[in-house]
Amino acid sequence: MEAGSFLAVLTPLNLLLALAGVAAGTLIGSIPGLTATMAVAVLVPITFAMEPASALILLGAIYTGAIHGGAYAAILLNTPGTPSAIATTFDGYPMAQRGEGDLAVAIACFASVAGGLVGALALLFLAPPLSRVALAFGPVEYFWLAIFGLSLIAALSTGALWKGLAGGAFGLILSSVGVAEVSADIRLTFGSQTLIGGFGVVGALIGLYCIPVLIDLVAVPERHLKMADDVDTMPIGSAAGLVWRSKLNLVRSSVIGTLVGILPGAGGSVAGLVAYSEAKRNARDDQRFGEGEPDGIIATESANNATVGGGFIPTLVLGLPGTPPDAVILGALLVQGVRTGPALFESGGGSIAYTFIYGLLIATVLMLPVGLLIGRYAYRTIVTIPKAMLVPSVAFMTVIGTFAIHNSISDVTLMILLGVFGWVVGRFGFSASPIVLGLILGPIAEQGFVQGWIIGSAIEDLPGMFFGRPLSLAIIAFTLMSLCWPAFAARRRARAAKAGGAASVNRSTPTDGGTS
Amino acid sequence: MSETNGAGGAGGAGGTGGNGASTRTGSVLVALFFVVAGVVTLYDTTTYTDIDSKVFPRAAAILLIVAASIALVGDIVRGTRETGFGQGDWWRRILLIVAMLACCLAMPITGFLPAAGIAFDGALIAALHERWTARRAVIYGGSAVVLMGGFYALFRYALHVPLP
Repeated sequence: MEAGSFLAVLTPLNLLLALAGVAAGTLIGSIPGLTATMAVAVLVPITFAMEPASALILLGAIYTGAIHGGAYAAILLNTPGTPSAIATTFDGYPMAQRGEGDLAVAIACFASVAGGLVGALALLFLAPPLSRVALAFGPVEYFWLAIFGLSLIAALSTGALWKGLAGGAFGLILSSVGVAEVSADIRLTFGSQTLIGGFGVVGALIGLYCIPVLIDLVAVPERHLKMADDVDTMPIGSAAGLVWRSKLNLVRSSVIGTLVGILPGAGGSVAGLVAYSEAKRNARDDQRFGEGEPDGIIATESANNATVGGGFIPTLVLGLPGTPPDAVILGALLVQGVRTGPALFESGGGSIAYTFIYGLLIATVLMLPVGLLIGRYAYRTIVTIPKAMLVPSVAFMTVIGTFAIHNSISDVTLMILLGVFGWVVGRFGFSASPIVLGLILGPIAEQGFVQGWIIGSAIEDLPGMFFGRPLSLAIIAFTLMSLCWPAFAARRRARAAKAGGAASVNRSTPTDGGTS
Repeated sequence: MSETNGAGGAGGAGGTGGNGASTRTGSVLVALFFVVAGVVTLYDTTTYTDIDSKVFPRAAAILLIVAASIALVGDIVRGTRETGFGQGDWWRRILLIVAMLACCLAMPITGFLPAAGIAFDGALIAALHERWTARRAVIYGGSAVVLMGGFYALFRYALHVPLP
């Protein structure tokens, strides 16, 4: 932690780069189909001609901005701009539908900044010790982490658990279409060349979340979102107050995001889902997650932005990228001549590492005014634009965004067909979210399971492999709690209601007795 | 996505047996589709050469068959609360989907922009519930050109996406 590194960040050029990076990242992240990975990858070549510190500050700012930008489309269009914002749709879109889209956007901005700061501070102060977490996670822990994420289906499918599980299982099957990750068998393609590449997560997200909204929108003349009384100002004070009142949720979700970010390959989507699951499990009785609960947005957005700092911990200390954008930035680091490793924080290259971390911190702080400003215009545009322009614009963006992922027309076709499928099954109680969960977590679960199976078979201790490791047992315990919690909470509510009814009867009885 | 203004309206209007029966049919058909998908997956796994490739899809297929079967039985025995496809114009929904799929078909032949124009125009016609006027046509047409041209330039020249 060198003061010189901090001062090096505070040059006008670096501050301008941080500001421009956050703004560009936020805009790119808000377009469905353009992910944080793509934003960073596309802009990496620009940084080759820059000073290493400036280049890294720009890349970090773009990355953190893009992760936050995903929230806008999630809240205003029910389409996660980036996979990290999946769980933001659960409560963000219902809030927007009831006329609180501006509040939801402001909450997302505050939560993203807070989460980003926690992740960056963990990177600044705890990088070397926390990097050991990445090494403690074996394939079996990844498998159980994916199952933990899938347990969110139980929470998302209140009253329709079996339909939720069926959707989740269908998502797992969709995730296995194409070339098998471990053994390279061709699976479930039925001879189609189109399906060999499998169902991409981003295309599937756009299809399953956005196309059903468009299909519903065109059918009726009503407005897309209920308009707030005042669309010209952001309810910044209310949002800050709500976030402050949920500080426990904010801190817990940020820590979860940081820890999940440390795990190579897990990423912001898993962090958001795990944090959402935990927030829901710890909810008060009066909170209604999935129906426009601000705490849902706080949990997801703080967690996914905390993965930015968290993901850099194994990247810088171990050379293991925590998330896909980290892998791209790691490449940029190597091109700039920075060698990663524990020594980076001790001597020599330490100054550039700290300059980068301070730059990330400043970019995260700058995200607050930038995010609120962009959010205000995004909200005003979406609620005031005529439906006849909104629908074709969004339809066009889904096409170009999906095409851009792999430059593939097949991806666009699959996205549309999956969207129509999602709309049909959604109308009959099979919601899209469990399918998406299965699709995202399937590859993590399969890889962890198969690798764990191979290792367990080799050491002839399969039960010990899957159930004998302390970290695995802890995740299994959380999974069981997450699975059982909805039933337990429902029973507790019913018991409280019954007790309340009995109390009111008792209160009236003495009065009656007294009078008699 | 359960904004069921329309759906709720339909359900409300059709709280009778007739409408309820039709929505139950839909739920049953979807659950049946999932069961069949699970069976097809199980069959497909028999063609894989490596056991590592089989384990996961098989487990998922069994879970799918079990969960969908229970949902199916539940729908038949208890009935469902779903309210069908909801209110609204079917021709608009179909036009939107057809226009987007036509865009995919046309893209290799016409290139990106004309194909995207098909999707844009189809979606515009589907979503326009007001009367066409010359002023609207100019504003919407102009906006479409600016938006599509702007995004094309952004993706093609700034982000280097090789749009056809």
